[in-house]
Amino acid sequence: PGPFPGLCPGWSPRAVPARGRKTRHDPPSKSKASRVKLPPPVDPEELLVVLERYRQHRLVLSALRAEFRAEVLQQKREERLAAQGSVEEQEEHRRLMAWNDEENARQQRRREERARKEEEEQKRRKLEIAEKQARKMEAFLEEKEKEVLQLQEEAKNFITPENLEARIEECLDNPRNYNFAIDKDGRIVKRTVLS
Amino acid sequence: MPMKGRFPVRRTLQYLSQGDVVFKSSVKVMTVNYNTAGELSEGARKFVFFNVPQIQYKNPWVQIMLFRNMTPSPFLRFYLDNGEQVLVDVEDKTNKEITEHVKKILGKSKEMLEREERERKKLSHPATFGPKKYHLRECICEIEGQVPCPAFVPLPKEMRGKYKPAVKNEA
Repeated sequence: PGPFPGLCPGWSPRAVPARGRKTRHDPPSKSKASRVKLPPPVDPEELLVVLERYRQHRLVLSALRAEFRAEVLQQKREERLAAQGSVEEQEEHRRLMAWNDEENARQQRRREERARKEEEEQKRRKLEIAEKQARKMEAFLEEKEKEVLQLQEEAKNFITPENLEARIEECLDNPRNYNFAIDKDGRIVKRTVLS
Repeated sequence: MPMKGRFPVRRTLQYLSQGDVVFKSSVKVMTVNYNTAGELSEGARKFVFFNVPQIQYKNPWVQIMLFRNMTPSPFLRFYLDNGEQVLVDVEDKTNKEITEHVKKILGKSKEMLEREERERKKLSHPATFGPKKYHLRECICEIEGQVPCPAFVPLPKEMRGKYKPAVKNEA
């Protein structure tokens, strides 16, 4: 389209510039020097009447709109409340809460069971440990007793200054032969004669 | 690096939308008290790690708070708008059991969700067209059975504005 009278559609959305030849920065021409721009003439009575009519119309319209808006909001709120606070819903809620309380009670019982079992386990373990300790102590004491007795036994054969002479005489009188031979099969042969 | 965290699948939309716990409108706050160590708190930990993001995604207006190592045993507490508090003991439960329990006592039932879905669908008509925000299709040329968009398929000559007066002038 463009400034072609035949083919330019009347409803073109693009605004045609009204300035024509000059830009906004060019000064107005000399023929317009005495031009006095006046606002359009207004009839005061007509203006008053028209303004009053417009005021009333807008008042009524906005009141109607507010009324409808409030009505719709009220309806929505009532609907929501009805959906929420109906009797069956409350019943349902109470039932579910009761079920939840039961579940909690069950959990409580399970927890107590567990705690009790834990306690028993602990006691049993403590007893076991105590027993083991006692047994260990006993075994230790026994060992020590045995050692003491053994030592007492050996003490009989000790060489003291008193029987030193006697023991020496004894050893000299009974010479012991420590020589032996061994073959590859591990048999010991004590045939060498002490000289 | 595209993936962040230990189980990045928790951040995908598909995973989040698979959460099926939608709270009733009376639930406002959910509080989870759990411990970071201990065998009995394992289910609660898994619940917090895997299921709480799903719940928050489905209930963006519910405040969820997590408290760690404050109590010896783990539990959930829900605060409803009428001041009621619902306590749920979750010691020694798996995270699946916890979600089932919560869904049963405070979740919207399937029929309710379907009903709401239907209500929402009623508000908009699928056959209308307009801005993408409110309608499925933007222009009448996108609707099947209508004249296709002249940007892709040129209109036949008789329908174009150029040829009508030309034909009239010829005649």
